[in-house]
Amino acid sequence: MRLYRKEGNTVQILSFPEEEVEKGDYLLVEEPKANKGLITQVIDVQFANVPGILEELLRDSTDDEHVYGENLDPLEVASHVTYIQDARVLIGKIRGTIEEGRLSVNTSWLPSRSQSIVKRLPTASLLTLAKISEDLPLHLGETKESSPLTIDARALDGKLNIVTGKKETGKSHLSKLLVLGLIDHGALVVVLDLNGEYINLGYSSKGERSEYQGKIRVLTPGANLKVTLAQMNLQVMLSILIHALSLPGTSAREFRRIWRFLDERCALTLRELGEAIRSWKCNQHVRDALFSRYYTLLNSGFFTDNPAEATTLEEEFQKIRGGGTLVINLQDVSSVDRQVVVEYTLGKLVELLTQWKIRAAFLFAEEAHLYLRETYWDDIVTRMRHFGVFTTFVTNQPDTIRENIYRQADNIFLFNFTNEHDLETVSRAAKVDAETVKSIARDLPPHHCLLLGKAVKDFPVVVRVRALDVQTMGQTRLFFAKN
Amino acid sequence: MPVFLPHNPHTPQSIPLKPLFNHTTIVAIDVSNIKLGETETGTLCAVRGAIVWKEKSRYKYLRLGPFPFHVTEENKREIYHLLKQYYLDTSKEANTPSLVHMQARISNLLERWIQTIICSSSQNTIILWDGSLTAGTVDSPINMMSQLLETARTRHNTVLAFSKMTRLRLLGHRLTDLVGKCPPPCILEIEGFHVPSGPVRFLGNIYVAKLTEGHCSFRLDIDRRVPRERGLEAIQRLLGNDLILQSYPETLRLAHIYSTFTANEVIGIQRFIAQQCGLKIVTRPNIRRILFGPFGKGPEG
Repeated sequence: MRLYRKEGNTVQILSFPEEEVEKGDYLLVEEPKANKGLITQVIDVQFANVPGILEELLRDSTDDEHVYGENLDPLEVASHVTYIQDARVLIGKIRGTIEEGRLSVNTSWLPSRSQSIVKRLPTASLLTLAKISEDLPLHLGETKESSPLTIDARALDGKLNIVTGKKETGKSHLSKLLVLGLIDHGALVVVLDLNGEYINLGYSSKGERSEYQGKIRVLTPGANLKVTLAQMNLQVMLSILIHALSLPGTSAREFRRIWRFLDERCALTLRELGEAIRSWKCNQHVRDALFSRYYTLLNSGFFTDNPAEATTLEEEFQKIRGGGTLVINLQDVSSVDRQVVVEYTLGKLVELLTQWKIRAAFLFAEEAHLYLRETYWDDIVTRMRHFGVFTTFVTNQPDTIRENIYRQADNIFLFNFTNEHDLETVSRAAKVDAETVKSIARDLPPHHCLLLGKAVKDFPVVVRVRALDVQTMGQTRLFFAKN
Repeated sequence: MPVFLPHNPHTPQSIPLKPLFNHTTIVAIDVSNIKLGETETGTLCAVRGAIVWKEKSRYKYLRLGPFPFHVTEENKREIYHLLKQYYLDTSKEANTPSLVHMQARISNLLERWIQTIICSSSQNTIILWDGSLTAGTVDSPINMMSQLLETARTRHNTVLAFSKMTRLRLLGHRLTDLVGKCPPPCILEIEGFHVPSGPVRFLGNIYVAKLTEGHCSFRLDIDRRVPRERGLEAIQRLLGNDLILQSYPETLRLAHIYSTFTANEVIGIQRFIAQQCGLKIVTRPNIRRILFGPFGKGPEG
């Protein structure tokens, strides 16, 4: 390989057919005399613009039906011509410099074109150079060179993460791996499980109980996740009514009065609430509005007047205090009820964190746009983060996450995308240049992920996500089942 | 379009042609050479030949080469005489060309050798050459050329030589400009050429061929010893058996294409030489460029 051009932070390296280099690989443009090396990452592999190639291809493109023949080439010069034909130009982005064995971000120097040596830089060596610590190891999988890739769980602590990619590329699989990895280090995790994919994480792929059995607590709204009104905070209830059930402002004000009235009398039950709405002196339209919301809450099955049936998140967190996951199973829950449950869960989570009843929690939200109201996005990213809610968004529709969220994301786990629009959206992430995202993500095979952000010290790395011995339940149900 | 008087002895005669479709194999030969660079002691060049056959509706080709040469003052005599001896089967010593002409001469030797092989191995075919049937020059001795054509004739082959460029003029006009108003396919028979004094001889009858509509016409030489009618019939059989585009036979066009070197091939051959022989190509400064800057056009050196 030879250094050919440098323009801005882009380098072009001439490579020959026997040198196997792929997108995502790291190269070191080393200048031995200066004892320096430029770390570059290959983001595209193109054919070298060899003169005369078009003529040659045109000449050789005739089909055997009309023109055929043979070459008498006793010196076997043709192999050299083919070699030149297959010469490639590697487009690379400069990521840093190695100066006397140490990594620096200084990329302002220009290596010698004639003297520099270009060689592959194994990802494992790069990560060692970048001093990616493994205090709390989270083994994600393997690099292209088949060396294990482990990040530090601290890289997710206090951070905002996004896992995205098109369908069936392995997003949910990775997020389960992250969940289990965090549990291993004693973290508390809350999963908003839209499709019931996490409910069997406590079982091995063969259906046997796994080491995570006691650490995965599945809470299904209406079944083992019910709350009494007395457990609720007025603010959370108002959020549910206003944001999930679209209660108008005037009606919300009346509701607040009713709630306080019942609270003062220690009569916060569904039955009493229904009675109070019926007998409350107010406009008939307001009463109607309150009744319609009341019946929605009643029919959701999420609320109960029986304290023995009720679940408290505080107790649930207690049960997994050594590390575990509360899976909020939103499968088969209607869209409105889903929003009610999520409003309650997040409100309660913030309440527990504010009161320091739990230290911090990692929140995994799959396809959050389906249950998270608009205003919550910023809330999660800014305010709730300070309380100790560290969110990981998992989605196959990157445009459902707003641009400012991408900009603030600390880590992005990017799977394959082929759609230009999706690539454009993801490329707005501030952690890396748009070209890298577009070029590498487009060609990622299934179960391969491009890691961007603090977890890899801003050196984008491609990883083949390791398999998990758990019941992932992420597969789509098929009509035409295979035997 | 030049105008000729009715009784002018040089008046070209237009001969209309009709394609003859009786099956005939067409063979075309072309050779290319290219300079690859210079070394400290000489020059590097390569030659390649191509033979293309048109049989029924298919074209078949055979490419010979590329053959790279490193020609120096020391080895040029050996190379030239070895090739001459091998290709032309002659042990007669001749003057070795100068270094700058060696590339063209090696190429010419290869071309004559391929022509010899084809003329002596084909039968009842039309053989297309690139160039003319002019003999008596350094690279086309009269004896050798006459012998070549005779070999072709004895095997009932007809050699048609197409020249893309000609220096021949008739009454001051370029030959290929004379065919303006003739409806194609036709040829103009040019008679009354002044036979040049000195060693140069025309071994063919000279025509201007305009075989299709379009702007192109070519000088066409047909072996002088072939009866005129048989010569004309050969062109008509060419018309009936080959694809003709811009008055040029496709078989000969393919031969040219298959022998020509592309820039990529040049790099490949340079790499072969560097790897196999350890020869280093030196880039000589372009004196014209140095002296005249952007006005320094023309050959390097």
